Amino acid sequence: MSTDTLKFAPIRKGLLEFLVLRIVGSECVYVPEILRRLASTQFATQEGTLYPLLSKLRRDALVQYEWRESESGPPRKYYRLTDAGRAYLASLNDYWSQINRTIEDLGRPPCSE
Amino acid sequence: MQRVITVSLNRNAYHLELDAHARLEAYLARAAARLEAYPDRMEVIADLEQAVADQCARRLQPGQTVITLAELAPALEEIGEVEVPGAPGPLPSDDPGAAYRATPSPENALQQISEGAWVSGVCNGLARSSGLDVTLLRVIAVVLLVFTGGAMMLLYAVLMLLIPYAPLASNAAPLPWLPAKSREIVTAIRSKLATLTG
Repeated sequence: MSTDTLKFAPIRKGLLEFLVLRIVGSECVYVPEILRRLASTQFATQEGTLYPLLSKLRRDALVQYEWRESESGPPRKYYRLTDAGRAYLASLNDYWSQINRTIEDLGRPPCSE
Repeated sequence: MQRVITVSLNRNAYHLELDAHARLEAYLARAAARLEAYPDRMEVIADLEQAVADQCARRLQPGQTVITLAELAPALEEIGEVEVPGAPGPLPSDDPGAAYRATPSPENALQQISEGAWVSGVCNGLARSSGLDVTLLRVIAVVLLVFTGGAMMLLYAVLMLLIPYAPLASNAAPLPWLPAKSREIVTAIRSKLATLTG
């Protein structure tokens, strides 16, 4: 891992919950699918991180899961957003675009002396 | 020939070789320690156990029924250490006995543990089975050594001869000189005694 990606680790860590909510919000998924979708991004993560996070989101009543049979092995947990989770994700999305606008705006006009 | 331990991962039976079992036990103990204050820790641990089972099952060759370190090590690597969201996560201590003590099991029977031992592993083993800190026990032992002189040394030697050794993890680093030598000497004396009495 390069020093840059290490330096930005706190940013990734802070945003992981947001991204997981977005993935769970887009479809009903199980953990290997979430890992797969994150794997090719800057947010690649592991089960050791994801399970505690999902469990926290569930306790905060933002996601819920249902058991589904699988062709191989025991039933799997499929996660989706609750109503509260959808509302929370909507406000996060809004907030995120505000932050983006702020970042853009603050950097835009080069200061004139 | 390797002995095999059968464990239940999320309520399904799996067979593991001894060294794989030790590695998995240590991993789950670390996970449990990090999740200590976590309300849903049992559920997360069940999820992790299932993940371990799935990852190992994927790596087994057709017809292979026993999980070895060759399957377990990359599986644990892929799953990663447990990170608690929002917390930097207390790091597990470097105390080699901690992983053993964190999982209370019938294996807490008194044994000498050579890994991380100073002399022969008596204090290390006493720490595991009593749940006391190994450093505390060593301090007591050294204080007794200073005040009782030969008596403490004699007691240590007797315990060294009597308490069985815990099996070495096959993937462990070579032992430092003194524990290795103690183990060798005690084993030699025991086999001598066995031939004499047997």
